[in-house]
Amino acid sequence: MADFVQLVILGLLAGGVYVAVGVGFGLVWGVLNIVNLAHGALVIVGGYLTWQLFTTLHLDPFLTLPVDAVALFVFGYALQRGVINRIIRAPLLFTFLLTFGLNLIVVNMLLLIFGSDFRSVTPSYSGQGLELGSIVIPYVRLISLGVAIALSASLAFVLNRTRTGLAINAIAADRDAAQLVGIDLRHAYAVTYGLGAACAGVAGGLIAMIQAITPTAGEPYTLQAFVVVILGGLGRVSATVVGGLAFGLVEAFGQSIPGSGSVFANAIAFSLMVLVLVTRPQGLLGRLR
Amino acid sequence: MIVRGDSDRRWRRIFLILGIVVAAYALLAPLTSLDAAQSAGVPLLADRLWFRIATFIAMFVVMATAWNIIGGITGYAAFGNVAFFGIGAYTTGMLIAKARWPFLVALPVAPIIATAFATLIGLPLLRLRGHYFAVASLGVGVAVGELVQNVEYHGQPIFGGASGLFLPIYSIDNRGLFFFYLMVLAAGISIAVTWWVLRSRFGYGLIAIRENEEAAAVLGVNTTAYKVAAFALAAALTGMAGGIFSQWNVFINQDNAFPIEYNVQMILMALLGGTGTVFGPAAGAVLLQLLIQFLGGSLPISADIPFVSDAARPIVAQVILGVLLVVVVIFVPRGVIDFFGGRTRLSLAYLRRSLRETSL
Repeated sequence: MADFVQLVILGLLAGGVYVAVGVGFGLVWGVLNIVNLAHGALVIVGGYLTWQLFTTLHLDPFLTLPVDAVALFVFGYALQRGVINRIIRAPLLFTFLLTFGLNLIVVNMLLLIFGSDFRSVTPSYSGQGLELGSIVIPYVRLISLGVAIALSASLAFVLNRTRTGLAINAIAADRDAAQLVGIDLRHAYAVTYGLGAACAGVAGGLIAMIQAITPTAGEPYTLQAFVVVILGGLGRVSATVVGGLAFGLVEAFGQSIPGSGSVFANAIAFSLMVLVLVTRPQGLLGRLR
Repeated sequence: MIVRGDSDRRWRRIFLILGIVVAAYALLAPLTSLDAAQSAGVPLLADRLWFRIATFIAMFVVMATAWNIIGGITGYAAFGNVAFFGIGAYTTGMLIAKARWPFLVALPVAPIIATAFATLIGLPLLRLRGHYFAVASLGVGVAVGELVQNVEYHGQPIFGGASGLFLPIYSIDNRGLFFFYLMVLAAGISIAVTWWVLRSRFGYGLIAIRENEEAAAVLGVNTTAYKVAAFALAAALTGMAGGIFSQWNVFINQDNAFPIEYNVQMILMALLGGTGTVFGPAAGAVLLQLLIQFLGGSLPISADIPFVSDAARPIVAQVILGVLLVVVVIFVPRGVIDFFGGRTRLSLAYLRRSLRETSL
């Protein structure tokens, strides 16, 4: 029983990171109809920012998260405005290839700047945790989960309670109608992508505290973001939160199956995704559109 | 539409002749023996690396042309075709290494298994549309590679595990030549199959599905059967390339039989050349693979990239590839094949029109 509880707790904690990675990816996918293969690269840019600020300025890593968000927002806005907006009316294959090209550029630029060494962010409290009987919950993981939930809540707030958010929702519903009522599409698209990138940056900051990062460490997160968003259902932040936590649980239980270890992590994740896609394409919480 | 002038026609003929010369050179060059080339002072031909690169290019011609059948003609953005390559490689590899089958008997099994697998996963996956199909096929590609590396039976890896699978060397004179021609034959088969598809009732059905699937169904096209058949055909050709690769390379593992980057490369090749055409993907494969090899510094004729150290070169090559990807997608979305048919000319106006068509 204690094992079971521990697995659930570990799964939910791991799910926090997936929530953070998934919300930005889901926003860009749901509103702009772009499957952003550069998402993992943006995540790792955030990770390196946190690492750089932590090692040179000795800032507490959690305090670097707003910096990640702002920097990545600006970068994402420029990227969408300058490059991705150019192919919005092209077939979907093109957005795949374009974002894959951007991913190649960003990852290899990081390799040129930082090299391929492992970098980790280890604040003084990194080894400590909350003890509940036989179960130890690392502080970093616990705060990360809190940050991920807070991030999702603020994103939901922006999307549902601000003028910009309403404009984004209008685009998601009908691009041409949104343009007719006076929404500046180029700007709104760039803001949406910027918000997605900002979420990726925060996720990267969290990931840098949890694992050692390299420039290529983001690629698995792009794939996992897919699974998380599909699992929860496209189009709502809350659905992605559920998808991320569910994915964390599935992963934790999958790894606990004796003999398989963690080697089948991707296979389990993708089998689950294909299963969800085929049986319930709108996701666990999604609505049919 | 631009009216074809006399000068266009002349250019077309020049390109045709040039193309035939290049193709003939590529095919006939290996016939000259290495020693003869060396003594005649043409070391370019003597370089064994050429065979390897030429075989590699032919391999990508097969993969890009095969992808074109499902991605270009049918319009389903398959992102996991490398799974078929890996399945073909491991089928032939296992039969040779474990069951001791002769290579030429083991090779035809590769496309059969790949086809069976594609049919099996195609039935559920091809019900998905757009992004969902792309993502799901990508997932299958990743998952199959991981399974092949990690599946164990009584603690023993079935497919060679993480250390890979070693095949006995195929004993034949001029091995490099043999595999070069075998791969070129596979490329020829792929192109011939595409040519046939585009002229058959089957191909018209696939194009109808690409343009409007509901309308195709209303017209009496059995869309499920057609889509699965196109997927299986692509899988068969890709699996064949994988089968040849396994014996040619003698060693296969997850990294060289299921490389994720091949998924994107074969699509980029088809796109660069022109999707939905017979020769476009092949042209794109030759161009892009030559460029990749050149940037990576592994061509016999090579040049330094200014301001870049040798150590940083592979990384810079990847950056250049990324920039190329972005530029092609934005400015040449219909592929370079358009410029060769006399249909249109590369000009500033063309680039501007491409940009405007897809911009927000």
